[in-house]
Amino acid sequence: MEKFVQLVVDGLSTGSVYAALALAIVLVHSATGLINFAQGGLAVLAAYVAWVLTNQGLPVGLAIVAAILVSFVLGAVVERYLIRRFERGDPDTAVVVTIGLLTLVTGVAGWIWGYNNQQFPSLFPLDTVSLLGVSVSIRSLGTTAVIVVAMVLLQVLFVRTKIGLALRAVAINPQSAAFSGLPVGRLLMVGWGLAAALGAVAGTLVAPQLTLTPGMLDNALVYALAAVILGGLTSPVGVVVAAWIIGVLENLAAVYVGFIGFDLKVAVPFILIFVVLLVRPQGLFGRKTVVRV
Amino acid sequence: MARVLDTPTPSTPPPPARSLRQTPWVRWGAPLLLVAALAVLPLVGTESFNDTLARIGVFAVAVLGLNVVMGYTGQVSLGQIFFLGLGAYVTAYGVQQGWNVVLVFVLACLLPAVAGLLVALAAARLGGLAIAMVTIALPIVGVPLAKRLSEFTGGSQGLSARFTDAPEGSGLYDDQFQLYLVLGIGGVVFLLTACLVRGKYGRAFAIVKDNENVASSMGISPYRYKVLAFTIASLIGGVSGFLYMVVVQYTSPETMSFGHSIELLVAMVIGGAGSIAGSLLGGVFYVVVPDLTNAVDPSLTSLLQGALLLLVLFLLPGGLVSLPRALARRLRRSPAGRGSAAPPTPPSSTPGSATAAERPQTERQGHA
Amino acid sequence: MNGHVRSRRTLGIAVASALAVTLSACGGATDAGRGGDTAEGAPSPGITDDSVTLGITTPLSGSTAGPGTCTVAGVRAYFGMRNAEGGIEFGDGQTRTVEIEALDDTYDPQQAAANYDQLKNEVFAMTAGLGTPTNRAWRDAAIADEVPQALIMTGDPIFSDTEQSPWQLGFVPIYQNEGEAFGELLAASGQQHRVAILSQNDDYGEGYVEGFKAAVEGADNIEIVDELTYEATDTSVDAQITELANSGADVIFNAMSLVPLVVGALQKAQQLGWTPSWFLPSNTSSPGAVLEPGGGGAFPGIYSVSFAKAPASPAFAEDEDVQTYLSALAEYGDYPEPPAFPHCQWSWMVGATLEQAFTQMEEPTRDSFMEALRGIQGYEAPLMLPGTSVDTTQDGQPAVSSVVVQKYNGRGYDTVESFG
Repeated sequence: MEKFVQLVVDGLSTGSVYAALALAIVLVHSATGLINFAQGGLAVLAAYVAWVLTNQGLPVGLAIVAAILVSFVLGAVVERYLIRRFERGDPDTAVVVTIGLLTLVTGVAGWIWGYNNQQFPSLFPLDTVSLLGVSVSIRSLGTTAVIVVAMVLLQVLFVRTKIGLALRAVAINPQSAAFSGLPVGRLLMVGWGLAAALGAVAGTLVAPQLTLTPGMLDNALVYALAAVILGGLTSPVGVVVAAWIIGVLENLAAVYVGFIGFDLKVAVPFILIFVVLLVRPQGLFGRKTVVRV
Repeated sequence: MARVLDTPTPSTPPPPARSLRQTPWVRWGAPLLLVAALAVLPLVGTESFNDTLARIGVFAVAVLGLNVVMGYTGQVSLGQIFFLGLGAYVTAYGVQQGWNVVLVFVLACLLPAVAGLLVALAAARLGGLAIAMVTIALPIVGVPLAKRLSEFTGGSQGLSARFTDAPEGSGLYDDQFQLYLVLGIGGVVFLLTACLVRGKYGRAFAIVKDNENVASSMGISPYRYKVLAFTIASLIGGVSGFLYMVVVQYTSPETMSFGHSIELLVAMVIGGAGSIAGSLLGGVFYVVVPDLTNAVDPSLTSLLQGALLLLVLFLLPGGLVSLPRALARRLRRSPAGRGSAAPPTPPSSTPGSATAAERPQTERQGHA
Repeated sequence: MNGHVRSRRTLGIAVASALAVTLSACGGATDAGRGGDTAEGAPSPGITDDSVTLGITTPLSGSTAGPGTCTVAGVRAYFGMRNAEGGIEFGDGQTRTVEIEALDDTYDPQQAAANYDQLKNEVFAMTAGLGTPTNRAWRDAAIADEVPQALIMTGDPIFSDTEQSPWQLGFVPIYQNEGEAFGELLAASGQQHRVAILSQNDDYGEGYVEGFKAAVEGADNIEIVDELTYEATDTSVDAQITELANSGADVIFNAMSLVPLVVGALQKAQQLGWTPSWFLPSNTSSPGAVLEPGGGGAFPGIYSVSFAKAPASPAFAEDEDVQTYLSALAEYGDYPEPPAFPHCQWSWMVGATLEQAFTQMEEPTRDSFMEALRGIQGYEAPLMLPGTSVDTTQDGQPAVSSVVVQKYNGRGYDTVESFG
């Protein structure tokens, strides 16, 4: 039983890593209707910026804040000068543009900082606390807490604020949003900027655990995408819960379902997605959206 | 199948430039000219040129398959590399067991097609991004699966199979023989696919892509056509896997890694989605760009590839295949260019443009 | 009909331009570089009277770019230093500089094979590339073309089998050797041990486990209580460590090749209050990059096998070998900081071992090179630990097959003769 609970807790902590990235992807999707493959790449870039600043002697917290600001600007600039050109066009092309951006950003990180592993200082201590007979590190708790806060903020932003509503209106129908007087261009930049800032939080949170390298978030990206689809593209709460479900189920399946084992546990989230989407095409928490024609 | 191309083809005199394409001369002459050119090509190229061309052929076929399901039918598939990998494994295993090569080829087509059919029967119930997520799982689960089934796949050490050395007495070098195989098999696949997407099925695919409700109201079952498109794409993927073994002669779990599936998607869009010629250009992009960036600076490949990709799409959002159209539009816009908007290419003025008349059956079909 | 015409023309132009691109990319000479039937004793490709060119295909981008970059940096630094000193005097009396031509394969076998095709007529020999599948992809071709595939970075035994691989030689110990060395030490400890195994799900992990099991087979003081694997694409091995901690093992045999996951495993075990004796392979046991962030001091003993000095270890901070190496790495290898991967050290040793072969080869031919390469015995390459040496004369073994077991002392490693 203790092992079971520990596996659940481990799964939640792994799931939080996926959730961090998934939240940023959802934000971009909500603002622009686009799946951004480069989200992880931008997050890694932010982590490098923070790392450079800590090496200059800045405290970790401040360095992270600075990286978040830099990322906001970078995200807005990327939207304005790169993505904007493809927003109205073929969605496949736009996705491929984000893949190109990911390749480019990874290459830039490798060019500037090399492919050596870098130690990123953690915001939270590595100490362990014991809860219900299982041990959890303060770092995992801290990561999870930050993600929950980000999730709540996002949910509030989307549902309760004017800017959130405007962002969603722009994503659903840019033309009629423009007719109703919304500054569509600026809103799109803000959407991307916010997503990049959130990505910076994600990147700096998981960098101590994953070790900073240009491809740090490549493996997490697939899981984050799975969480995004499973949770429903529109719901911050949904994707975080989905990411946790994925993390936990993976662990349990690997340990308790003999033929899956640790090598095929990666199949678990996809089987789950398939079953869920057959029953609920909009995902666990998603709203039904009108199909764009 | 490559033997078709081995036989000397009567070459036709260059058709007059003016009545181009209307005359029967061109209708029949151009394809024959093309076949002749392709038949000669491997004999004049250097070894590395032939190797490069053969690898382009392999991935052009893979991209073509992806185009059938994605470019023409509008279903996002991120799993195409899995079928290439499966075809390659079937080929490698069959060759190692000493099976007849024809049988191996048939199996390398059929097994991926059956696998694709099974996946499609389930996945085609979903649409949009959901189908993307289900297909993404194929390479991601495929890699550990290939390792687990090490009895058949050789595990992470992979399988080698050298079965395409030029036959004794043919007088060909290995690279020439391999290129003939790729040109022959790949050419037939391109031809058949072009017919498919031009015909009845192609129109149905286009309608399904455009609007599933309209398709249903016209009596076209979106589900059935999606399954069909996916199965054909898998079959073509299997063929590309066979060709992969013809050229690379080695496969391992890395062959079907997720990253390559993404690269195939990129190649398809860069070449031009929903286009036969675009598939070919996609294959060129997939193969030539890594070589090119390696030649510039091997430590900056990722950066250069990303930059190049963005640059191409920035200039040509419709892919490389839209380059002539984009040029023509620019010319038309300037008054001087009027009338000469798209100057007819005089055929066979250079060896390169003899092949330029390639595959007249390929036009953009159902591009939404 | 008009649409037809246009699209067809479009196609023609597109194909023509595509072909033009490939043609210009590949050069147009006819039949050049095919065959390679050179006369007896005539120089092989890639070697002149004053220089020799070596080829490397290795991952320089993608997920294995870290160690991949190192495999180039070390050998480039070594020959950069030698070239600056005036070059190397070969066995035929000529003094030559050594040039390195490295290409990125992103750990893709297909690209590795393509890189080989591109390099084979330009370079004298291929060397130092990282990866089992990426080296296997062109092994057959290298044999057919008689191109040396010398001192490559894979512990796959096939490359050290002269019968199967006449033109190949691995550099690093085959994985089995490393696992075996630790197994023998453990079996001889005279105490009862319960062992948990966590290994990478590929030939790397399997090789280690195979060697370990062979060594402890029949030893009645060893019981393997649990055995798990992980995938190289996993982001965490927390669940595996949790399950293994429950097995109550007092030793963990941990064959992992990824630095972040090893760090995570060490941390997770501590969080669970499970502190077994720990075995780590040679490529993920760096004191600075792994054990320090992982908190290695919390465990009763961390053991590893090695043949190279770890430059990040304070024990070797004053070592002359290490200092020469680090400064050359920064100056000629474009690697300004101490690397987290031992592959940089190994590739430096590859350079030194190649130099040994160069000074012995009597003709500027690939045949002569392979003969010289297979005749090195008892050579203590720079950075080698006492008790290890390069020996290329044993069939079935790579250039380095002797390893010593080491134990972490809180700062670096000490060589140990017994467990505990």
